[in-house]
Amino acid sequence: MKTEKQMMLDRLADAARRGSVSRRSFMACATAAGVTATAATGLWTSSARAAPARGGTFRVGIHDNNSSDTHDPGTYLSIQHIFLAHTHRSYLTLVNTDQTLGPDIAAEWTSTPDATEWTFKLRDNVTFHSGKKMTADDVIASMNHHRGEDSTSAAKPQLADVVDIVKDDDYTVTFKMAAGNADLPWTLTDYHLCICPANDDGTIDWQSGDGTGPYKIVDGEFGIGFQLARHEDWHLDGAYFDAVEMIALGDPNARQTALVTGDVDAISAIDLKTMALLSRDPNLVIYNVPSGSAITMPMHTNVAPYDNVDVRNALKLAMDRQECIEKIFFGAATVGNDFHHSPALPYWPDDIPQREYDPDQAKALLKKAGAEGLSISISSTESIFSGAVDMAVLYAEQAKAAGIDIKVVREPNDGYYSDVWLKKPYCMVRWGARPTPDVMYTLAYKADAPWNESLWQNDRFNELLLIAKSELDNGLRAEMYREMAMLARDDGGTLIPLFPNFVYASRSNVKTGDGLAASWEMDGCRAASRWWFEG
Amino acid sequence: MGDILGLVLKRLGLGLVTLFVISIIIFFMVELLPGDIAQAVLGQGATPENLAALRQQMGLDTPAPLRYLGWLAGAVTGDFGTSVVTGERVTSVIGERFQRTLFLAAYAAVIAVPISIALGVIVALLRNSIFDRVANVLTLTSISSPEFFLGYILVLYLAVKTNWFPAISSVSDDMTFWDLLNRTFLPALTLVLVVMAHMMRMTRAAIINLLASPYIEMARLKGTPPWKVIVRHALPNAWAPIINVVALNLAYLITGVVLVEVVFVYPGIGQALVDAVSKRDFPIVQACCLIFAATFILLNLAADVGAILTNPRLRHPK
Amino acid sequence: MSYFVVGYFAFLVLGSVLSAHFNRRTPFLLLFSLTLVSFVLGIVGGTDMLRMVAIGAGLLAFAAGVSYSFREFLIVIAPVGVGKELKTAPLTAAFGMFVVFTYIIAAIFAPVIAPYGEAEVISSAYAPADENMLLGADQLGRDMFSRIVYGARNTVGLALAATISAFLIGALAGLLAATKGGWFDQFMGRVADVIMSIPSLIFALLMLSIFGPKTIVIIVAVAIIYSPRVFRLTRAVAGNVVVMDYIEAAKLRGERTWYLIRKEILPNSMAPLIAEFGLEFCFVFLLVAGLSFLGLGIQPPTADWGSMVRENATLISFGDITPLIPAGAIALLTVAVNFVVDWMLFRSSGLKER
Repeated sequence: MKTEKQMMLDRLADAARRGSVSRRSFMACATAAGVTATAATGLWTSSARAAPARGGTFRVGIHDNNSSDTHDPGTYLSIQHIFLAHTHRSYLTLVNTDQTLGPDIAAEWTSTPDATEWTFKLRDNVTFHSGKKMTADDVIASMNHHRGEDSTSAAKPQLADVVDIVKDDDYTVTFKMAAGNADLPWTLTDYHLCICPANDDGTIDWQSGDGTGPYKIVDGEFGIGFQLARHEDWHLDGAYFDAVEMIALGDPNARQTALVTGDVDAISAIDLKTMALLSRDPNLVIYNVPSGSAITMPMHTNVAPYDNVDVRNALKLAMDRQECIEKIFFGAATVGNDFHHSPALPYWPDDIPQREYDPDQAKALLKKAGAEGLSISISSTESIFSGAVDMAVLYAEQAKAAGIDIKVVREPNDGYYSDVWLKKPYCMVRWGARPTPDVMYTLAYKADAPWNESLWQNDRFNELLLIAKSELDNGLRAEMYREMAMLARDDGGTLIPLFPNFVYASRSNVKTGDGLAASWEMDGCRAASRWWFEG
Repeated sequence: MGDILGLVLKRLGLGLVTLFVISIIIFFMVELLPGDIAQAVLGQGATPENLAALRQQMGLDTPAPLRYLGWLAGAVTGDFGTSVVTGERVTSVIGERFQRTLFLAAYAAVIAVPISIALGVIVALLRNSIFDRVANVLTLTSISSPEFFLGYILVLYLAVKTNWFPAISSVSDDMTFWDLLNRTFLPALTLVLVVMAHMMRMTRAAIINLLASPYIEMARLKGTPPWKVIVRHALPNAWAPIINVVALNLAYLITGVVLVEVVFVYPGIGQALVDAVSKRDFPIVQACCLIFAATFILLNLAADVGAILTNPRLRHPK
Repeated sequence: MSYFVVGYFAFLVLGSVLSAHFNRRTPFLLLFSLTLVSFVLGIVGGTDMLRMVAIGAGLLAFAAGVSYSFREFLIVIAPVGVGKELKTAPLTAAFGMFVVFTYIIAAIFAPVIAPYGEAEVISSAYAPADENMLLGADQLGRDMFSRIVYGARNTVGLALAATISAFLIGALAGLLAATKGGWFDQFMGRVADVIMSIPSLIFALLMLSIFGPKTIVIIVAVAIIYSPRVFRLTRAVAGNVVVMDYIEAAKLRGERTWYLIRKEILPNSMAPLIAEFGLEFCFVFLLVAGLSFLGLGIQPPTADWGSMVRENATLISFGDITPLIPAGAIALLTVAVNFVVDWMLFRSSGLKER
């Protein structure tokens, strides 16, 4: 007869095989049942990491599509683009499922001590779907697509510091930078910077849709869907599915119905309202992954009343973040602490005290600033994210307790980012995920950045930003980012209420690895090459 | 018949003028949209310099009237240009999608038109009976919930709970005709429910409107049975408004399918049109609108010819 | 067998017997057929089905009762002439009038009737119904009932304003075109063609993107989209009237255009126009709801039924009835308006036979 302990472990192992228990809770339960940590790890590996089965057609419903999308990496914008790009093309580097940086086409990389020159050693077994071998020429042409005067690429700012890219030999390239940048390998995971075949004149052939990714395009049309088949010569492990079918499913109800009826195996986003109801279905698994994207509410720090730090902090204290997460995001968000650095990103400082909803202290701060009975307005619109105006309304209700009168101004959807953002003194913004804190801070918090949305000027912050950028010692960098976070939190002009999570779902016969990359939906948009069907 | 042929020719000529006016209106409305195509393509991440580069590449730095004339010069020779965003030929972008939309609309029309006219005649015959009331309430309820919601309800009961029909209507070229009918049944049914009430009620109203006319009174006094009064005497004179409303609804079927296509993920032209508007892709918007407009003008012409053929007095205006 | 079943059938049989005894034909037929239907359904579906039938019949009877009392009430308070007309109204029309009346009251006195403001957050998300909140709370914890009441004001007001403007423009242009004929007729016909040929949703999409989703823009856009439909219908109906001999006669008498329209053409074209009004009214609802589906309708936090359906539409797939409440409010009004319209249509057609 089995002991109680043995039965519990059997059940746990079973749950691990089904994928209904995370590694962390598996370890907790197993050690609670009296197993040593080492033994539990072994048990987890043997039950959950049974070799992935190969085969099947992975049908995935994508939520963000546009029929006028193209294969041009410079115009990548929609999730349809990003998912397709990670499925049929490759990058130099990638984000692993445990949020560390890993090799893709580049096998390894080194830099000079001042981080101004980066040398990437490329794999020599990478081939395009057409059969052509990939070499340094293709990499250089692909990067140059986003550089130079004539480039129309949206990724131009990311590579602005790159002075030159040199071919050392067929499988080695060197990036020469204007200033030290320790984050270059991270920057290269950006979804625009994929590798396309080079033409003889140094431009790239993006039109053909050829790539070096795990699957090749068989047929398809943007806005409708794509059929892809496995690229047998792919250079990495994985690509368990024989074929992948992407289907454009823009309507939330259609997406969810297709998943419930089994017309697709996974969907890239679900309607948060129905998340709780959907999770009751035993045939489905819902993934709720903290992301690097953020909702920000910048105040122009050079305009009264926001030029007073006490007023800024009172406005930060007047928001009940938990209520916003619960009511606008139905729990699918991670609380923000007024510095633009999400827990999903490297170097996240985990010991900074959380700012809570405190209308009394807000009142006290306003009194100190001589701004009692403050009356302001905030701009918002539905196109920022679904529920953005509702959130502003909720914030206005919460701020009443602090004696602040907030008027919600509903701006037109179209042209919000050209007419309201950076122009109105207090508004709402959604930021996409950036790979590292340095990229984010440089874009929107550096004193002279064109997108410094709060017009915040803090000398110490800017000084630290520059030092940290070229610092190769991770421990030292983490310390600097902690100090910068504190500065932004207590002196900055941006209220950051929360970081929205990525919420997507699959049928329960779809299996994932140990973790899920947090860079994009669907395991960093690499679900097609990382997931598999239960055997 | 000669005068009808003349009328058709005249109306076709006028139709061309209408299309021309529409193309001007659409062009300048797209121009008036806040933001521009470069901004829409690059999104929030656009910087001023790559916006400028993209604008130049797309030819947006020439003044608007010149760009319109350029497009017009191509259009009169049958060349609708290329998409500003993707550089693909407009015909290749929308050709197949338009065929699919047309198929869906025809499918719905084949079901809806005969049923609603027949029902209209029956409820006019049985006016104020319980049957009339029930038909009335049911059709009214079906058009009074938004069509996307109607679609959701149909999906719930006919796809999710019973599995009778597929929930999403993604179609491919290698399907048999029967498969295709089955796949697209739910969107077609939604459209049928949306347009049926209008046609049925107009048929009923047009017939009832005639029942007080002296010649109907006469027929009734002669002892003709009620159904014969309606079918033989009232219906022929009621055709004008009925044909009108049928033409209107057919046009609606073709142009109004956007929401239904979205709900059922049917790869028709509607979604492409909405996307093109959001990207300010003028040649696509223009081509779609002109196709819709041309369809509408032809249906209208058919309705007017039908109305004239059924009313001798209009055929010979004094 | 439960007390409910025994009592239910006892009531039905007693009712049938009594009405038969007093020679009331209609109530007898109604009650007895209900008894037979209940027998069959009771055997097939058991007590639960019977209970549903009983509730349904009860609701219908209640609605009939309310309509009857409301009609009598109107007859009493109305002046003599109108009262006489009202006596001819069927119960369905009375029911329609009652519903419309209720909606008007709700719309006018919304701030008094609604216990909370339309944007006021008072509880947690999706709180169930209790004595404070008749219909529970929505996702932000706002009172659903209050939002429905405010929705009556916003939605009905908007749809009515848009429909009336569309009718004023369209019908007037149509009548003028039919009477005047010639180049004016041609010109108006072409203008209508142009507007109608542009797909309505796209036209609205463009208008609202250009001018922003404000209420006044929605009204103007919808009026522009729908007036050519009214114009064409009026033109077609009036066109048939204009060729009638009595119009010829009036023209020969030397009557002026305005007189012809008012006294001769309009009364004889009224019926289809009225029928059209009821339907157009519903289509305006639909269009506004469709716009909010694309994110361009009435903007939050203003309560309107179309957006309330959209916001919660996905819940329907899980059998949650939240989206059905505003959808039901739209449906009820549509049906009610068309009941009234049917009656007026019946009267204006001059048909005396029933």
